[in-house]
Amino acid sequence: MKLVIANKNYSSWSMRPWIAMKAADIPFEEVFVPFGAPLGNDEFKQRLSAYTPAGMVPVLIDGDTHIWETLAILEYLAETFPDRRLWPADAKARAQARALAAEMHAGFAALRRECPMNIRRPVRGRELSAAAQQNVARIEAMWGEVRTRHGGPFLFGKFCAADAMYAPVVTRLATYGIKVSRETLGYMEAVMALPAFAEWLQRHAARLREDASTADERRARMDAANPKYVLRNPTLRTH
Amino acid sequence: MTLKLIIGNKNYSSWSMRPWIAMKAAGIAFDETVISLYVEGSEAAIRAHSPAGKVPILIDGQGDREVRVWESLAILEYLAEKFPAAQLWPSDPAARALARAISTEMHAGFVPLRQQCGMNMWRPPAKRDLSEDAKANIARIETIWTEARMRFGAGGPFLFGRFCAADAMFAPIVSRFETYAIDVSAPVAAYMQAVIALPAWAEWRRAALRETWVIRKFEYDWPDVKRLATDAA
Repeated sequence: MKLVIANKNYSSWSMRPWIAMKAADIPFEEVFVPFGAPLGNDEFKQRLSAYTPAGMVPVLIDGDTHIWETLAILEYLAETFPDRRLWPADAKARAQARALAAEMHAGFAALRRECPMNIRRPVRGRELSAAAQQNVARIEAMWGEVRTRHGGPFLFGKFCAADAMYAPVVTRLATYGIKVSRETLGYMEAVMALPAFAEWLQRHAARLREDASTADERRARMDAANPKYVLRNPTLRTH
Repeated sequence: MTLKLIIGNKNYSSWSMRPWIAMKAAGIAFDETVISLYVEGSEAAIRAHSPAGKVPILIDGQGDREVRVWESLAILEYLAEKFPAAQLWPSDPAARALARAISTEMHAGFVPLRQQCGMNMWRPPAKRDLSEDAKANIARIETIWTEARMRFGAGGPFLFGRFCAADAMFAPIVSRFETYAIDVSAPVAAYMQAVIALPAWAEWRRAALRETWVIRKFEYDWPDVKRLATDAA
């Protein structure tokens, strides 16, 4: 299997299946296509088209099958590797895990807009709009409810696909110094303690060391590629 | 105890239509509760059923064994597991993977189209000026439908031959394409006709046209509310 992903610093959608596969010990070959190519998004799309006609990241390639959209990738993995238990075994817990994952997939626009994933950004507080604060409150309430019911440390006890869906939110809450409850911090620590999480950060750091360009050059390159947009679908979509 | 589905207005609530039409088309029995959106008390009424504060909500069982599922996609996955004979997802793994990918793309995507062509079943069909973004959404949806039909549609008129959850996810788009008189290719028009010919579609639409709740922000000609006759064909 191949997983085509974009920048580990910015692409929250890439992080989700990557961390799920690592944490579930599913072997795969990683194909990295950076956003910040010198010619911008057209070049990104052109490079991506060498791997997949889907025109977006992340994409899972299994033989002739190309699967895009994070949730669809997670469902495919859950079916292909049933012993890895990517969804909880209990039907009721599984239904809730899918609901949480789906809510993440289409929701929390204000938080995502105001706090984009940016792993190397120094931790600094940020004022949130009322809408983003509501997003945080809803996320904390959801996490709290299922962790209380299932005993933690992850949302449904053991790590599952719902945790993978929220892993980028964990980095956002940390990066932007969002004030959260002790219970929420406990969950964030559990996610950040995953070896897969550490590996994502290490791989990102290693790539930065290989990249001889300066921070300013990298920023200029990202700016040229229009950082206001994140590629998820064939059409560019506002972040 | 039968399943219970909490939904919003049939005229406007595209998210409600998805699991409803899936259950009807698959012959899964359920009781429905309709809560009009954006009226006094409706938010509290929805929150009483689910803290997510959004319709649709599926309730299965009661007491300790009660399961409440929100988010259309999660509801469809729950139904697909609980009623395997209904085959809500295609049985072929490659077809199923594509069905889930396009359903998920629908779930979080096509925002410009959704904003500029809100579902409004009683609105008499007429064109609207659309942004380039919305036109790009339409082109992408046509590609998705055409590709699914070409690759997996041989066994019937739907995206994967027989009706499945992906058709349910796109049913409100069929309604929008009709309402806003979107020009489409012949194969896309044929697919739309197959969805519109579902008895479940007619049942939903008949109820939508008879609703009396008018939501100002969904009526683009407000204060004028253009409406088809309640018995319109």
